Amino acid sequence: MSTTKQTTVKSFGGLPVAIGFLIAVLVFTMFVVGYDQGQLFSVVEGQSAFDSKWIHEFTHDMRHAAGFPCH
Amino acid sequence: MTLVGITLSSGIIAGIILALLNLGIVEPTIDKAIALEVQKQVSSGEKVKMSELIDYRYWQKAGALAGGAIYGAGLASLFGVVFVFARNKFPVKNNKQKAIFLAGIMWFVLFFNVALKYPANPPAVGDPETIYYREILYVAYIMISGFAALGMAVIWIRTRMYSKRILIPLIYAAIMVTAYFVMPSSPDKIEISMDLIHTFRILTAITIGVFWGILGIIFGSLWDKFLSKEQTVVTKLS
Repeated sequence: MSTTKQTTVKSFGGLPVAIGFLIAVLVFTMFVVGYDQGQLFSVVEGQSAFDSKWIHEFTHDMRHAAGFPCH
Repeated sequence: MTLVGITLSSGIIAGIILALLNLGIVEPTIDKAIALEVQKQVSSGEKVKMSELIDYRYWQKAGALAGGAIYGAGLASLFGVVFVFARNKFPVKNNKQKAIFLAGIMWFVLFFNVALKYPANPPAVGDPETIYYREILYVAYIMISGFAALGMAVIWIRTRMYSKRILIPLIYAAIMVTAYFVMPSSPDKIEISMDLIHTFRILTAITIGVFWGILGIIFGSLWDKFLSKEQTVVTKLS
């Protein structure tokens, strides 16, 4: 007597890691495009980053077009 | 890691296309709004350094493509995670249709619905003093819409009685109508032409809608190419 066992192996190796990574990308990118008012560069540039707002200006037009409050 | 690859690449491509569309279609309204803003500053006696303004606009326009790519990668990340868990629950057959279907829902839940309460505004609208307050309101409303939709999706999947499913979109609508009236309005007064504001809002709703559509098409196509073939191993035991 012979038995046939069918196993489906999905090509999603490391799925929890991939999902964790994608969620991290989501949070970081949304902060960059939608919310940064100098915070990220202030880590290296200090208080002046809140005046220059390089990331804010760099993503300025996309921020408006995507519906985020900008200034 | 194939999932990460197809998710980010589809998002970046769709985001760059969005940025190009915005540069062609939305940018003139942003330029007009900035011109009005400068005009207002000049007429109120404020000094405007034109060379500095030109430098800023150059930097802002140069960042449009990168901004689009970053925005696309971010939203695609959320899209990819939702697609992984929900792809077998959609009322359509193939992966491309499923991805487009999900993209339509996400545009509605995360952009359109939010825009009804806190619509997009061009430059010249918004008091910098209230920026953090408005950001909190905006994020809160997205969270309400997103988590309400997620909750309704879970209930939809678990509801065995198909006749009761009709209630689920109505519950979502009730939550959003309540949120619409309970959440505070944006504190900023609009002091420029409403024609310009309406044009900007309509154009951005269209380009963001196109972005989601393109994201769905690219993601569905890449999924079909790289992830749809599940390996079936048949082991014969004797």
